[in-house]
Amino acid sequence: MILENTKPIEGRQGHYAGAVTRLVAFAADIGASWGLFTLGAAALAFTVQLVSGTKFSLSNYQIASLIAAVIWEFLYFAYQWTLGGKTLGMALLGIRVVKADGSAIGARQAVVRTVTLPLSFLVFGLGFLGILINRDRHAWHDRFAGTSVVYSWDARAARLRWLARKDPSPTA
Amino acid sequence: MSPLPGSGRAEQLAQAVAERVVSIVMEAIDIDALLDRIDVDALISRVNVDSVVDRVDVDKLIDRVDVEKIIDRVDVEKIIDRVDVEKIIERVDVEQIVQRIDIDALMEKTELGTIIARSTTGVVSEVLDVVRAQGVGLDDFIARWTNRILRRKPGTLPLGPAALVGPDASQPALTAGGG
Repeated sequence: MILENTKPIEGRQGHYAGAVTRLVAFAADIGASWGLFTLGAAALAFTVQLVSGTKFSLSNYQIASLIAAVIWEFLYFAYQWTLGGKTLGMALLGIRVVKADGSAIGARQAVVRTVTLPLSFLVFGLGFLGILINRDRHAWHDRFAGTSVVYSWDARAARLRWLARKDPSPTA
Repeated sequence: MSPLPGSGRAEQLAQAVAERVVSIVMEAIDIDALLDRIDVDALISRVNVDSVVDRVDVDKLIDRVDVEKIIDRVDVEKIIDRVDVEKIIERVDVEQIVQRIDIDALMEKTELGTIIARSTTGVVSEVLDVVRAQGVGLDDFIARWTNRILRRKPGTLPLGPAALVGPDASQPALTAGGG
């Protein structure tokens, strides 16, 4: 068991999330969003083929598929951040986006964060360097939107769950 | 018997005179005025309390005390009514108490583990806990080395947004290397 070899982690709820957790969450989001987009494209192709009887593939319309992908990515991130401050990947890794003061983010911050997220990729991902070196672990898109990423995962409760699983009937 | 004849009578006479004189003197003395003139503090300062205490047999004293009788006379309800429970609770640092609890021992010695195990979902939450714990561990590792390279003291860095961790919360000093 991996947890067995690690030191107990104190409760981190509300602490700034680190680079690795954020990177893994982002990778999970990219995978999930592209997976869903591919599924959507396949469903669209199947429906068009069923209705019109002609073979259809979104990849044949490169500009249209690029625009659709951009819109889809925008919706994926902006909608989820507006809804609960976390995307699918962030929920898996136990982190969430909040305003820089710690309060819940609104639609405006979610939209600005989504729009400025690609800017952090520019110049070889220089915008993400802030997660490592800034005191408050802000990337460029965090600065633009006035947001922070924090842990929402209750490590202490997880430790209790693990200890409970280790010996579920201690007095039996 | 007295060695000299008539000395017994003289002795009785002297005794009677002495008793009468003492009685007259006692009546003439104003005890209150006398007490007023006594400097009690000075008197007490001259008493060697330690030697007095040394001479007291405390065990004997305690043996003679009827504790049950004293307790019977104490109105516990009245004492409880005078205690401000809210004030006591305010002064208790719950976080510090929780930190001092040996959770591992508690789980081993009580049925708390069974209760929690029953109330949580199995494999999925276990996998998530492991992934998250590994992520946090790696975050700490990278943060330690970044602080080392940038020659930054972890104690001066903020833990999180003030509304979530408090206004003065800063990172504890993590030891470099390891984990």
